[in-house]
Amino acid sequence: MNIKVLLFSFFLVPLLMVAQDEEDYSMYDDLEYADEGATTFASPKIIGLSPNRFINVAWDVQSPYTMNTSDTIGYLPDASWEIKESSNVNYTGGLRLNANIPVISRNNIVWQMGANYMNTNFSIDDADPSDGPILSELDRTSLNTTGLFTTVFKPLNDKQFLIFQGQADYNGNYTFTDFHSFGLTKYSAAVLWGKRPHDRLQWAIGASRTYRVGELNYVPIIMYNWTSKKEKWGTEILFPAKANGKYWMNKNSLIMFGYELEGGSYHLEGLSNNGNSFELRRGAVRPRIEWNRKLVGFFWLNAQLGTRINYGFTYDELENGKEFFRGFFGQQEIAAFSSLGTSLYGLVGISFVSL
Amino acid sequence: MKKFKTLAIFFVGLFLLTSMVGDSEDADKLVGVWEPSNKKIKVKIDKISGKYYGKIVWLREPIDPVTGKPKTDKNNPDESLKDVALKGFRMLKDFVYNGNGEWSEGTIYDPQNGSTYSSVIKLKDENTLDIRGFIGLKTFGRTDVWKRLVMKNKK
Repeated sequence: MNIKVLLFSFFLVPLLMVAQDEEDYSMYDDLEYADEGATTFASPKIIGLSPNRFINVAWDVQSPYTMNTSDTIGYLPDASWEIKESSNVNYTGGLRLNANIPVISRNNIVWQMGANYMNTNFSIDDADPSDGPILSELDRTSLNTTGLFTTVFKPLNDKQFLIFQGQADYNGNYTFTDFHSFGLTKYSAAVLWGKRPHDRLQWAIGASRTYRVGELNYVPIIMYNWTSKKEKWGTEILFPAKANGKYWMNKNSLIMFGYELEGGSYHLEGLSNNGNSFELRRGAVRPRIEWNRKLVGFFWLNAQLGTRINYGFTYDELENGKEFFRGFFGQQEIAAFSSLGTSLYGLVGISFVSL
Repeated sequence: MKKFKTLAIFFVGLFLLTSMVGDSEDADKLVGVWEPSNKKIKVKIDKISGKYYGKIVWLREPIDPVTGKPKTDKNNPDESLKDVALKGFRMLKDFVYNGNGEWSEGTIYDPQNGSTYSSVIKLKDENTLDIRGFIGLKTFGRTDVWKRLVMKNKK
């Protein structure tokens, strides 16, 4: 057989066949809309954001620490106080449940509704009511938060967006067979306006009404979520509530390092008299390292290890349960003080997520 | 009586045939080139063995800024597929026509995070799709609007 024919058979014919299979993609460069294009809206996500938790079940526990408490006689906010009760808190911890369900999730609006439950049990050594009422009340009962919240993400165009968050928390040492007044529900809200300049950056500024440090407060907010070009490093910041750096070890494993402010105002039933609400204003800073790891499918493990540093553990007596705003400069009387030693804490949870 | 029977069978057969043809025509309305609302890609949907598949045929940014090379499916959880070119990648798979302008039982792949979601597609009008990707239940998902593209001067 002629060598040229052989060459043609072995090399050129297969090449021609491959060429027939491959599509000429350049033909798609120059298309037009059959009627009109869809409006492009800013996405609520950026590349490399930590997994969005639809459902989360977690357990939080703290190492032992000392708790000192004053008498319940009323003090000016900056007053010095003497220790009336002092004890070792052997155990602090409890269950945390969180569900965040999309109601509407389209490219032009995302509306989510959620519910959360957080329980904190204290086990305090020698918490004798005859020594003082506060430690025995905390030891005898547990603090519960049951909340409902909503988040609306509304893109204004392909770059700008608005976020609205609202939350109602029912906090106190109630049990599910013995509720206190729903009029003591605490309401928080935040509004942000922001920009998403590209797929790896979104930032926003806004204001919030919050109980993050225990007392009611109004604070400005800055959001800054960024991911590096190589999609390894980044930040997820919602200052002052939380700020984290992050490092994606691989697509299934994420390390985050930073802090979170955590707190709330809790009605203590056993210390409330004459229609007033005796409220624990609890706030803590939690510097920590967090590991997020894909388990299977859309189920992820999250584990945190850090310290719980007391920011505030004070008590207010709300007349007829009416909330007030003290802010940084208010001189409203504080019913009692507690001081807490710093403790280590750990949290382990499982989440059903979206990436 | 026999004549009536034959006539009845003929009309039933004709009805079935025309409705099948009608269904098939409606089902094939999905075929074509479509653009998601973020306008970053164009996806060509074809019918293959009775099911519908969509592949990426155009990328607004075809070059990976980190490597300087054509973008590949670097986020794919399957290591062996990380080097596969995104252009030509089949991101919609296995859609079956349900009737009433809806295709289901398919999956949509998001190259930005390497996740595959269950998906359902609805034809809102001749040139608009509502395409929803979800995890397990349709509640846990997101809907995007895709628009039909045509060759210039072929409107």
